Amino acid sequence: MWSFVLRRLISSIPVLILVSLMTFGLIWLVPGDPASVFLDASATPEQVANLRRELGLDQPLWTQMLSWYERVLSGDLGESILLNRSVAAAILERLPITLSLAAIALVLAVIFGILLGSLAAVNHGGWGDQSIMTVALLGLSIPDFWLGLVLIVVFAVQLGWLPSGGFVAITEDFGGWAMSMALPAFTLTITQIGFIARMTRSSMLDVLRQDYVRTADAKGLGHGFVVMRHALPNAMMPILTVTGVIAGGLLGGAVVVEQVFALPGVGRLIIGAILSRDFPVIQGGLLMLAVIYLLVNLIVDMLYAVIDPRVRLA
Amino acid sequence: MKTRILQIALAGGLMASGLMAAGLPAAVQAQDGGDVVIAQLQAPPSLDPHVTSAQAARNVNLHMYETLYARDENAAPVPDLAQGVEISEDGLTYVFTLREGVNFHDGSQMHADDVVASLNRYREIGASSTLLSAISSVEETGEYEVTVTLSEVQSTFLDNLSSPRAPIAIIPAEQAALGANEIEFIGTGPFRFVEFQPDSFVRLERFDDYTLNTNYSERDGLAGYKEVFIDSVTFRFITESGSRVAGLETGEIHLLETVDGPSAQRLAEDDQYVVYDVLPFAFQVIKFNHAQSPTDDVEFRRAVAAALDMEEIMAISHPDIYEIDGGWLFTNSAFYSDAALDLYNIADLEVARQHLENSSYDGETLTFIVDNGRANVDTATIVQQRLAAIGVNVELSVADWPTVSQIGFTPDGWHFWTHGFGIEPFEGPASVIAPWVDGVSMQADDPEINRLYNELTTEMDADARAEIFAEFQAYMYENAVAIKAGNYGLFQVSTTALENFVPFRIPRMWGVRLNQ
Repeated sequence: MWSFVLRRLISSIPVLILVSLMTFGLIWLVPGDPASVFLDASATPEQVANLRRELGLDQPLWTQMLSWYERVLSGDLGESILLNRSVAAAILERLPITLSLAAIALVLAVIFGILLGSLAAVNHGGWGDQSIMTVALLGLSIPDFWLGLVLIVVFAVQLGWLPSGGFVAITEDFGGWAMSMALPAFTLTITQIGFIARMTRSSMLDVLRQDYVRTADAKGLGHGFVVMRHALPNAMMPILTVTGVIAGGLLGGAVVVEQVFALPGVGRLIIGAILSRDFPVIQGGLLMLAVIYLLVNLIVDMLYAVIDPRVRLA
Repeated sequence: MKTRILQIALAGGLMASGLMAAGLPAAVQAQDGGDVVIAQLQAPPSLDPHVTSAQAARNVNLHMYETLYARDENAAPVPDLAQGVEISEDGLTYVFTLREGVNFHDGSQMHADDVVASLNRYREIGASSTLLSAISSVEETGEYEVTVTLSEVQSTFLDNLSSPRAPIAIIPAEQAALGANEIEFIGTGPFRFVEFQPDSFVRLERFDDYTLNTNYSERDGLAGYKEVFIDSVTFRFITESGSRVAGLETGEIHLLETVDGPSAQRLAEDDQYVVYDVLPFAFQVIKFNHAQSPTDDVEFRRAVAAALDMEEIMAISHPDIYEIDGGWLFTNSAFYSDAALDLYNIADLEVARQHLENSSYDGETLTFIVDNGRANVDTATIVQQRLAAIGVNVELSVADWPTVSQIGFTPDGWHFWTHGFGIEPFEGPASVIAPWVDGVSMQADDPEINRLYNELTTEMDADARAEIFAEFQAYMYENAVAIKAGNYGLFQVSTTALENFVPFRIPRMWGVRLNQ
């Protein structure tokens, strides 16, 4: 197992280098730099040039790139041009918000997605199956930002049950934190439940047709017990795969939700950095997201071996 | 009682500081204290007042920092941290007497060395350092006296010193010794810095040791008597318009810095809110690239100007909050001119076609760069459609602001560019002419505009300056240097809990009370 983990970690390095090179390439292609954020349209070319020099933006991009790789190898992601703090600090301050949002949404989506998908499979062809799949399809189709705004209007404005946005740290007030995360997490959950429910249903239908399931039923075991104990574990592999994909997708989905609910997470940080061309933050942020994505996939691969004893991690 | 929509003439309005919010029963008076929450679209790129001219930064910085001179309610420069100034007969020497006993947020007091250091820092790294380009020296000539010597007469020097664009804020000398974005946020303003989360909020609290300017008895623009009745103000950065409005409706937010027209109309019908029409706030301007053909051709530019229907442009781009006016200043400016306004808003396709026939346009497709702000995209789209009617082919190139502004600052890749001109008409005639000097905005030097600018900034007589500005405006129209579509404004909305709020160039939080 550990040699597998080590090999996967080592093989991640070229991926991360590629991600950073592609990011630099994109930054090089897109015009503009932070000077345009500081100054208005009436700024003279001299004022722009002066500010670029003050901010260290007058170096050629390849020089900036080499400096960045030198720093990264010593564990330093550089300084944000706009935030006036280290990129690592800026990301770490915001990471708990994004990760907690994604984690809550993932756990809820997995629990309810598997539950609904299993119910749909067990009631295959019936009204329960049709209803659940319709709801799942709706969840898949609804845009995050629209759903978020609707939830704000209903639960914050009309009912006044929850805040419309903003963030309260868990260390400050657990109740406030829970309330500030409720609507954003729910928004993300709804749109992901559909994926897991559909995959669960499809996978369960395959398994429920197997001889060993029929045998278990014939032995007189309760059908619920058969589904939970025999069918679901055997259906988990594809569900696990799609969960891994969703986990990565949640980081992207969190960006939209963070904007709608004004949550100061990593997604909002990166979006703001892109719009203001804060290159160190773009580089550091995307690298961090790539690391998380690779780690999630590593965990998914390891869980295959846990769930299915036939799988050997070579 | 139905909420009244208050018409505010921004640049010349008369504001009585004791004005009570409509609808509040006299028996329920506001308690002093409270945290006012303001929602604005963007985060400030910096809280270093010298290095940024972004509106989002001004909104915050002008609460923490003050300047020697500041703009009053009518946009005229008046003393703020200065007690006054003596100007030599030759117009080259300004001796500023400072107010004594002015406290900085760190407990120290302001002296001449702080002013000297701040002005010199601005000359070095200021975002609008050209404002002080006429200065040859700044000296401390007393504990509370600073002498500024100019290399040439500049009639607009006090205007420049009081410019709120990237304010020439006075900070402690030891802070002024630091580079851009390296300072601690210490000023003399009525609010002091508490916390800044760059993608979330900035919080300021009342500075209890603020030195009130007793030369005034009431709030007056960015100067005046800045008494603070609230405990703190929090600026939250919420990009999503629906989220901002929702925050107001849930009571989490007290003031929206800007809101879209339909939301403003809806909120105006609710007694809980007050809607302010902040009009005029800026110009909608369409620039030509004079370094490219055919926009380097006067006849072509005149054709474009003649074709456009400004009412159509402004009504679609800024519905319910615009004015059709061709003056290159706001109407309440002392220098407002009606010169050549017969060439404004011609909206005649036949006249346009005649100019076009005399021009060098040969059917090629022209590029209109525009940022993805809704009003600017709408303006560009309407111009594109209108020009298509006279046979001019225009392709829109929409991108975000950093991309567009980078292209727009070069002579290649564009023929048209539209955006707002906000702070310039507020500041006055020199600020309106300045963007066209040395060809900065149109990518080709225009000696006539340069001459007019030099004349205006060295002419001390106000009537003569007015004539020069009229000459500039006539030149702009006769040569179609650029096109002014009209004036537009902002809708701002507050809850009735916020009392005595009067809109200005920034959402001022001195003089207001929060009914808790």
